[in-house]
Amino acid sequence: MVNAIKGLMISCDVPMAQFIINMNAALPQSQKFIIHVLDSTHLFVRSDVAGMIRSAIAEFREQNTYEKPS
Amino acid sequence: MKKIFAISGDKVRPSKKIKFSNKEHRSTAVEDYDPSYAEDIDDDYRDGEGKKWDFTELELKPDHANRPLWACADGRIFLETFSPLYKQAYDFLIAIAEPVCRPESMHEYNLTPHSLYAAVSVGLETETIVSVLSKLSKTKLPKEMIKFIHDSTANYGKVLKRLLKDEVIGRARISTEGLHGSDGFTVSKSMGEIEGRHDELLNEAELAAAAEEKETHSFEIDPAQVENVKQRCLPNALNYPMLEEYDFRNDTVNPDLDMELKPQAQPRPYQEKSLSKMFGNGRARSGIIVLPCGAGKSLVGVSAASRIKKSCLCLATNAVSVDQWAFQFKLWSTIRDEQICRFTSDSKERFRGNAGVVVTTYNMVAFGGKRSEESEKIIEEIRNREWGLLLMDEVHVVPAHMFRKVISLTKSHCKLGLTATLVREDERITDLNFLIGPKLYEANWLDLVKGGFIANVQCAEVWCPMTKEFFAEYLKKENSKKKQALYVMNPNKFRACEFLIRFHEQQRGDKIIVFADNLFALTEYAMKLRKPMIYGATSHVERTKILEAFKTSRDVNTIFLSKVGDNSIDIPEANVIIQISSHAGSRRQEAQRLGRILRAKGRLQDRMAGGKEEYNAFFYSLVSTDTQEMYYSTKRQQFLIDQGYSFKVITSLPPPDSGPELSYHRLDEQLALLGKVLSAGDDAVGLEQLEEDADGMALQKARRSAGSMSAMSGASGMVYMEYNTGQKRPGHGMKSKPKDPAKRHHLFKKRFG
Repeated sequence: MVNAIKGLMISCDVPMAQFIINMNAALPQSQKFIIHVLDSTHLFVRSDVAGMIRSAIAEFREQNTYEKPS
Repeated sequence: MKKIFAISGDKVRPSKKIKFSNKEHRSTAVEDYDPSYAEDIDDDYRDGEGKKWDFTELELKPDHANRPLWACADGRIFLETFSPLYKQAYDFLIAIAEPVCRPESMHEYNLTPHSLYAAVSVGLETETIVSVLSKLSKTKLPKEMIKFIHDSTANYGKVLKRLLKDEVIGRARISTEGLHGSDGFTVSKSMGEIEGRHDELLNEAELAAAAEEKETHSFEIDPAQVENVKQRCLPNALNYPMLEEYDFRNDTVNPDLDMELKPQAQPRPYQEKSLSKMFGNGRARSGIIVLPCGAGKSLVGVSAASRIKKSCLCLATNAVSVDQWAFQFKLWSTIRDEQICRFTSDSKERFRGNAGVVVTTYNMVAFGGKRSEESEKIIEEIRNREWGLLLMDEVHVVPAHMFRKVISLTKSHCKLGLTATLVREDERITDLNFLIGPKLYEANWLDLVKGGFIANVQCAEVWCPMTKEFFAEYLKKENSKKKQALYVMNPNKFRACEFLIRFHEQQRGDKIIVFADNLFALTEYAMKLRKPMIYGATSHVERTKILEAFKTSRDVNTIFLSKVGDNSIDIPEANVIIQISSHAGSRRQEAQRLGRILRAKGRLQDRMAGGKEEYNAFFYSLVSTDTQEMYYSTKRQQFLIDQGYSFKVITSLPPPDSGPELSYHRLDEQLALLGKVLSAGDDAVGLEQLEEDADGMALQKARRSAGSMSAMSGASGMVYMEYNTGQKRPGHGMKSKPKDPAKRHHLFKKRFG
């Protein structure tokens, strides 16, 4: 029988894929969201996590960005 | 049923800019206010500060087009560099205001109490400042600004007796009445005695002020208290800025030193200008002169010494630059060999005769532990002598405690600080205002580039993406201590570095310096590429040998330097810098490193605008994207950006078609490298730490223990340490520090006195 899972495909660059994989690995088993790692730049994830991933990445980038104090 | 969205790792920065919403913006601004204008200046100030940007109150003068300045009520001044009056306006502004940012066509300055203090001390009066400013300004001067100038400068020249009433200063006064004139330090009474009579003294001071209102023209201050008194007089306390001047022509107490500038020493216009600020009214003022590296700071120092013609104590940061200073003195002035001496742990010369120049390091003077008998004698001599000029190289290092000690130990009539980078990460740069004096002159880097006095440098930031495996390790929590090693050893970075070295060596025949703070990376890179390297533990002999080879040999075109090469190593031949790792976000380090290649090369006409070569020096900073390094890198560049430099971002290095000719092409090689990084001890991949680097400590929250590769392999050089100059000991810095005499056990105290 065909088993269909509704999900989200993410395409991103290599480091960001690693970032998401690392994020996934840090979560407890029940909350893991990656369904399949397609290749080094494509991931297939649960459809409800888009917002979470975006905000995590935004925060990560924020850490690595310097803003001149005014 | 799929949704696709793309996330890309780079393109981080541009998105930052568009933060404010247009709505908010309009609500705060007045109607006829042109929004595009504000956008050009700065976006970050926007949020909730619309008022600051409302300039509608300012009245534009009818002939504003001919005037070069915009003056804002909050003390900021903008200067158009394309104005025909630019030069005059610039000279004036640099005297009264602090330069904030100086890109090509618009400069930003800031009026601060300190900068106005400096203006007063070079002889500008309140009225002159206001009138010239309003002449140059496109708008009517805001009232706030005029008031600010008045407040900051009004106290000039009428404060003596009020000073005496101040408790701190009154305490520091030496009670020997009748000793007038600034020449002559008398031996001070011990602090205890003065404190004991504190009340009495105060009364006396008040009496003196009341009774001899006209007679108190001068009073003497306990040498040990000078720093406190000066600090007390600064704008944030009493607001009576002080001047330190030395009337050297009329000083008959101290013997003259017979030295002149040689005729071939022709100071350049900006050097002339800085000197004229210092000797404005026939006396020598204490202060700081800021010139970019390679612009000839030493000539300014030597000229100042030969104008004052008194004994001169010259302080440098390390033994190598001591040699260089001694050489510069002999090169530019007619000083005789026996009148100049170097005092380092290697060479303890003493000068004959009653006046001379002593070149030494900050460490040698401030050293608190036991010295050899010979150096004890010399140091006694340094302490007891009255110096005409105290010349301090790289003065931005002075605020560190040890260096402050130097200033209080030595007695000098006039202090001149020289530096290229008046920034520190620990915000103690303002200490210099009372430790030394105001900033007398600061050159504009871009003007010097245009004049062909320093090299025209192309700055580039090379973005190297992390490889999959390295980034995966980077993200793991357990590797948090190895993050730096991981992003520095990123194979893509290595390949970019190798590519750049090949390109510059083979295509252009350039001389290249590669900087790496991380010792592990330094050794790995240097070994793999088979290039010579110098770091803290490299002996003096070996250093000299490597540098010599780099300067003369055709085969040695690249050297790897650790932090030790940041300043003071003079390598005029180099014109390319590749930076693979750096000390966190130190703006000073970035500028100092750039300074290594600023010395102008080639023929003058080629260098001038429109000459053959647009750029003749290159500064590459290799950065691994998506890592902390991006943060540091942007922060580090701020100083240079404020000087008007721009960084070009290069994303495609090495070119995509480069294959196995560069190292770490194959995955298994990369993995082997990764394994090496991961298996190295935490201490081995940390930063190199040098004792003199006190500023840097402020940048690191957690201190890592320093480790060197040689220590790991058991070859830790006790032998080297014998030859070392006492300041560059690798690793064991903390241990070898001399014990503070105050903390000694009382039994030993007796013994060591």
